[in-house]
Amino acid sequence: MADSKYQQVSELVDKARHGNRNSTDQLVMLFHEDIFRMVYYRTRSRMDAEDLTQEIFMQMIKSLPGLKKTSRFKSWLFRIALNRIKDFYRKKSILNFFGTSTEVDESYQEISQNDDDPIDKLMRKEFWEQFRQFTEGLPRWEREVFILRFADHLGIREIAETLKKNESTVKTHLYRALKKFRQTPGLHDLLKGGVP
Amino acid sequence: MKSKTIHLDEDQLIWSVVDENDLAPAVRNHLSSCPVCQERKRHFEQELNNLGNMTKAFSPLPREKPVPVVQIFRNWLRPAFVSGFALVLLIMGIWWSSPFPVSQENRMTQAVGEMEDDSQLVVEIRVVEEYALPDLYMDIAGESYGYFGDEFLEFVVPLEENQIRSTGSARPVRLIHLIS
Ligand SMILES: [Zn+2]
Repeated sequence: MADSKYQQVSELVDKARHGNRNSTDQLVMLFHEDIFRMVYYRTRSRMDAEDLTQEIFMQMIKSLPGLKKTSRFKSWLFRIALNRIKDFYRKKSILNFFGTSTEVDESYQEISQNDDDPIDKLMRKEFWEQFRQFTEGLPRWEREVFILRFADHLGIREIAETLKKNESTVKTHLYRALKKFRQTPGLHDLLKGGVP
Repeated sequence: MKSKTIHLDEDQLIWSVVDENDLAPAVRNHLSSCPVCQERKRHFEQELNNLGNMTKAFSPLPREKPVPVVQIFRNWLRPAFVSGFALVLLIMGIWWSSPFPVSQENRMTQAVGEMEDDSQLVVEIRVVEEYALPDLYMDIAGESYGYFGDEFLEFVVPLEENQIRSTGSARPVRLIHLIS
């Protein structure tokens, strides 16, 4: 199943990088939600996530002809996304320095699904708070590897390609992050119940 | 027998989740045959799966569906075209109303040139006024258009002092009529 999806993606990438617009559209459709969510996990703002997702796909379309290994498309796309998010924070910190940023820390507040259910709302708020506390407490690479692995569902090899690090380094970061995760009771307990 | 009672420690359990193949062969063998350790590992992985499911379930969806490539480039090209057009207009505006000294000099030169052209045109108009016919025709006519005898001019436009005013009348009376 996963292999056939990889095969399908590889074929689409091959056509798209030779200018096939229909294949490009299909690639955008396939990865749109994944990329939107990965940006959202890192920006905590739906609006920023929407804008950045659009920019990431623009960048993808522009750079696609230069992609050499079609099998590495997913990690290549995530790399574009991470770089774009890094630029976003760089720009934001400059604006903050000059006091011209209109930043509002939305802290994962604007969610649409089941927004009327107060228990759901409370649980969601609690979850994101615990998630934020845990991930922000991790060193940069541990945090990035942990989120890529368990929130973005990338494999070790894909993470290594995305971050341009070797697999053993990725595993070491992941091991350290998981060790801290095991020692963090808040998020740990919350996850026992799973999705309500 | 003893090896079956030594379960995976915390570090080994974490490594088993990171990558089971990285465990030492003896530990891997134990894991493959120990239901207790398998259950601990499964439980840990379930928690991490829950984390993935919850991040997904508690995230919003993008409000808009992805825009097709053609539309993206149309959206991108339209403002680019408008900006380009505005830039051209701006450059033209600056060109025409440039306050820089170099173009001031150019404008002075241009004005002098225009003045020269104007004066040349005025001379030509005067020539045409006074010599409406070429010299050949003036020779045939036997006169110069530029010259009228004093007598002729006095006849057409009499001088003031040669006029006689009747008392009580502002109307001038021509001397020539009175004589006749
Ligand atoms: Zn065991």
